[in-house]
Amino acid sequence: MTLERGVRGELQRILGAANVLLDPAQLLTYSYDATPGAPRCPPEAVLLPEDTAQVAAVVGLAARTRTPLVARGAGTGMTGGARAIRGGWVLSTQRLNRILRIDLDNLQAVVQPGVVLKHFQEAVEDQGLFYPVDPQSLEACTLGGNLAENAGGPRAVKYGVTRQYVLALEAVLADGEIARFGARTLKSVAGYDMLSLLVGSEGTLGVITEATLRLLPAPAARGTLLACFETLEGAAAAVGATLRAGIVPAAIEFLDHASLGAVEAVEPLGLPPGVAAVLVLEVDGSAPEVERQAGAVRAVMAAAGASRVELAASEAEAERLWRARRALGPSLARIAPHKLNEDIVVPIVRLPEAVAGVHRIATEARVACACFGHLGDGNIHVNILVHPEDAGEMARAGQAVRATFELAVALGGSISGEHGIGTAKQPFLGLELGPRAMAAMRAVKAALDPLDILNPGKIFPVQDQAEVPPR
Amino acid sequence: MGVCPVYEVMRREAGSARGKLALVAAREEGVLGDEGLYRHLLTACLLCGRCTNSCPNQVDVPRVVRAARAGLAERGRLGRLERLVLGRLLPGRRGLARLLGLARLTRWVWAARVPGESGLHLRFARLPGGARRRLPALARPFFLERPQAAQAAGQGPRVALFVGCVNNYLRPEAAQAALEVLAAAGARVEAPAGQGCCGLPAFSSGAVEGARALAARNLEALWPAGEPGPDLVTSPCASCASMLAHHLPGLLAGDPARAERARALAARVKPFSVVVTGLGGVRGEGPGRGASADLPALTYHDPCHLSRGFGEKDAPRFLLTWLPGLRFVEPSHPCRCCGQGGTFALHHPELSEALGQDKARRLIETGARYVVTECSGCWLQLQDLLARAGSEMEVLTTAEALRRWS
Repeated sequence: MTLERGVRGELQRILGAANVLLDPAQLLTYSYDATPGAPRCPPEAVLLPEDTAQVAAVVGLAARTRTPLVARGAGTGMTGGARAIRGGWVLSTQRLNRILRIDLDNLQAVVQPGVVLKHFQEAVEDQGLFYPVDPQSLEACTLGGNLAENAGGPRAVKYGVTRQYVLALEAVLADGEIARFGARTLKSVAGYDMLSLLVGSEGTLGVITEATLRLLPAPAARGTLLACFETLEGAAAAVGATLRAGIVPAAIEFLDHASLGAVEAVEPLGLPPGVAAVLVLEVDGSAPEVERQAGAVRAVMAAAGASRVELAASEAEAERLWRARRALGPSLARIAPHKLNEDIVVPIVRLPEAVAGVHRIATEARVACACFGHLGDGNIHVNILVHPEDAGEMARAGQAVRATFELAVALGGSISGEHGIGTAKQPFLGLELGPRAMAAMRAVKAALDPLDILNPGKIFPVQDQAEVPPR
Repeated sequence: MGVCPVYEVMRREAGSARGKLALVAAREEGVLGDEGLYRHLLTACLLCGRCTNSCPNQVDVPRVVRAARAGLAERGRLGRLERLVLGRLLPGRRGLARLLGLARLTRWVWAARVPGESGLHLRFARLPGGARRRLPALARPFFLERPQAAQAAGQGPRVALFVGCVNNYLRPEAAQAALEVLAAAGARVEAPAGQGCCGLPAFSSGAVEGARALAARNLEALWPAGEPGPDLVTSPCASCASMLAHHLPGLLAGDPARAERARALAARVKPFSVVVTGLGGVRGEGPGRGASADLPALTYHDPCHLSRGFGEKDAPRFLLTWLPGLRFVEPSHPCRCCGQGGTFALHHPELSEALGQDKARRLIETGARYVVTECSGCWLQLQDLLARAGSEMEVLTTAEALRRWS
C-alpha cells in the first residue's frame, strides 16, 4: 500500500520533506525491533517529528485518515511491539532527543522521549544525581521506550522500575490533542492515576512527548559480590535469605549453568568446577554502609550454602563481572541460532520452585534452556534455545513456553516482568488476566483510542487467534 | 547501535550497525534491490569496528558491509564518481582521461599529478565541504621520488617502510621522520621502491579487483619473490599497515605464486609505535604520567585501525608519555572515530564533518598544544577540522613527534 499523494504532501508540510522517510531501504530499517524471529513489517512512512506540535499534527492526520500509527524509540523491545503489523506509519522519536531541564533543587528532570537512556544517565551523573533504571539495552534504548514498556533492570530490587520515577507526562492522545497528566511534585491525587495507565501501555493509548522524571542523589560507593552455588535452588533460596536479613542489595542477578557456559566463552570468569548457579550482587550507599552490607551479604551467602563468595577488589573487576552479565543475552546465540526469550516474574519466596520448575519443563520438552535474570525481584529470563528449521523442536519449545507461563501464574507471578506483551505474548495474556480484567482493559483502550489507530493489534489477543508458538 | 558513531549523528536506524545488517540481509533475500537508497546507506559506515568490538558475538559488521559493497561493484552499481575513479585502476577503461579533465576543472590541480591508483583520489575527488576544506599542498618531489640517504647498516632488524599515499604525496616529512626514528632505534630500514597505494580505499569501496592488483604490487615491492623478505614491515600510517596485515593475504589467497608470501608478509607487519617500542627506541627521559602542569601538553587520538584493527592502544601512549618537556593528557573518548573513515567523508560529508567537529571539540578541551595520531586519514581529518574550529593545535604523527622530541 503506498501513501496517497495528498497525505504524503501533508506529512511533508508538517515535518519537512527530510523528516518523512519513504524510500524502501529506509522503511525496511524500521520494520523490526529486537525480537528474535519476528517477521519484518515495513511501514508506509517513517515520521521524524521534533516537537510536540508536530506529533499532535501527525496524530491528528492519522486519525482523520484512519491510519495506524506506531510510536518507536530505538527498537530494542523484545515482544515485537514496535512493528507496524497493520501497515501505516512509524513515528520515530529519534529527533525528540533533548534533555529539557535537570532540576537540582527538586531532584527532577524534564526530557523528551527520544533521549537515549545512557546519555540521560551520564547527564544526571555529571550533576551528582542518579537515575537507576537500567535495562540491558541502556546504551541504545530511549526513555520513551522505557516509559511505554515500563522498563526495569537489575536494580529494580532496590530502586523499582520506570513507573516509580514518573511524576508527570505530556502525551498526544489518539485524536491529536495534547494532554498533561501528573504534576511536578512527589505526590498528586488529582483524579485517576493516568501515569500508571500510560506507563507500560506500549504506545496503545497515546504518544508520550515529554516526561518529568524523579532523580536520586548518586550513591557514594558500590560493591559487587560474586557467589557460587552447587545447586540452582540453593542460589534461589539465598535471595530470600538476603532480604530476610534486612539487606536490600541494589541488584541480585543470577546465571544458571547453561548461561555460565555461554558467558565463559566470551568473558571467562574462572569459576571453580561444580558450580550450578552464580549470583552477582551489588550493594550501594556510603562507603562504610557498602562495607557493612558487603560483609553481611557474604555471611548470608555462606550460610545459604555458597561454595565460594568473592568481593570484587576493584572497579575494573566489578565492571568485568557486569560485562559478563551484560554479554549474556547475545552470547546465547553461540549455543543455538534462535531463542525464545520469556521474562516471567514470581514472588521471591517461590523462586526455588520457579527455577526448578522451568528446568523440569525444559527437560520434559527436550529443549535446551538457559535461565538468568534479576533474581532479586523474582524476574527470571527463560531462554529456550532452538533451531528454527527443526519443526519438531519448535513445537516442543512452544509447549514449554506455554507451560512456563502457566507455572509463573500458578506461583502467583506474571507472564512478563519487563518486556511487555506486544505481539509475542498476546496468546498468553488470558492465562494471567481473568475475562473481566481483560474486558476492563479493552474498555480503556476503546475509550481512549476509539478508532484503534495507536499501535493497533498489540497486547490483546486477536479474535480467533490460533494459539501457536508466539513467533 | 548505541556505540555506532554514525548512528549518533545520523539519527536514523539505517545509520546503525543493525540497520546495515538488515539492509544487506534484505538485499540478499531479494526484498530490496540496488536502486533507491540502498547504495547510499551502505556507504554510511566508517568501518571503524566499534560495533564489533562491543558485540559479545564479535559480529564482523565491517566485513559484511565491505562484502555488500563488493557485490554492488560486481553488479556495476558503484556510484558514478567511484566508477570514474576506480575505472582507472582497472585496465582498459577510459577513466583516466576523464578524471584528468575533471581534475583540471577543480581547484585541486594536484589531482592531475597524483598517480591514478592512489586511494587519495577516492578521498578527494569530490571534496566534502567544498572550498572550506583545508587540503595540504602537494609535495615536490614526492617522497618516494627522493633519493634516500643510506640508513644505518649493522645488526638491527631489516625493516621495510610502507609509506602510504598521504605521506608520499602530501606529507613527506612524516615518512622521513619514520625512516629516521627507525634508523636511530637501530633498524636497517628502507622504503622499497615500487610500492604504491595500500589499496584500502578501493577495498573499502568494494573495488576488490583493484585492491588485489595493488596488493600484488605492494607484495612484490616489499618482499620480492625468491628473497628472504624483511624482518618487519611497518608504516607511519596504521590504516596502511592494517590493510597489509589484515586484508592482503585474503586478497592474494587465490594467487599460487603469492599466497604464501602474502601470509608471511602479513605476519611481519606491525604498527609503527609497536616496532619502535620493540626496538627500545625510547630515548627520551620524559616525565611519564606525573608531568608538571607547567609543561606544554600533548594529547593523542586513537586511530580505528590501530586501536581496534591491531588492538593497540598502549604502545603510542608509552612512547608519548616519555617525551621530555611535555605533559601527556588524555582526551575524552580517545578511541572514537574522527569521521574520516576512508571514503565515508566522500559520500557523507555532513556526517563526517559532524563527527570530526565532535572529535575536534574533545581535543581542544584538553588544552593541549599538540595532538598526535598514527594514521594519515586521521591526520588529514584532524588538521582540517581543528584549523576550521579556529584551533592552533598542531597535528603530528607518532613518527614526527618522536623525531622532534626524543
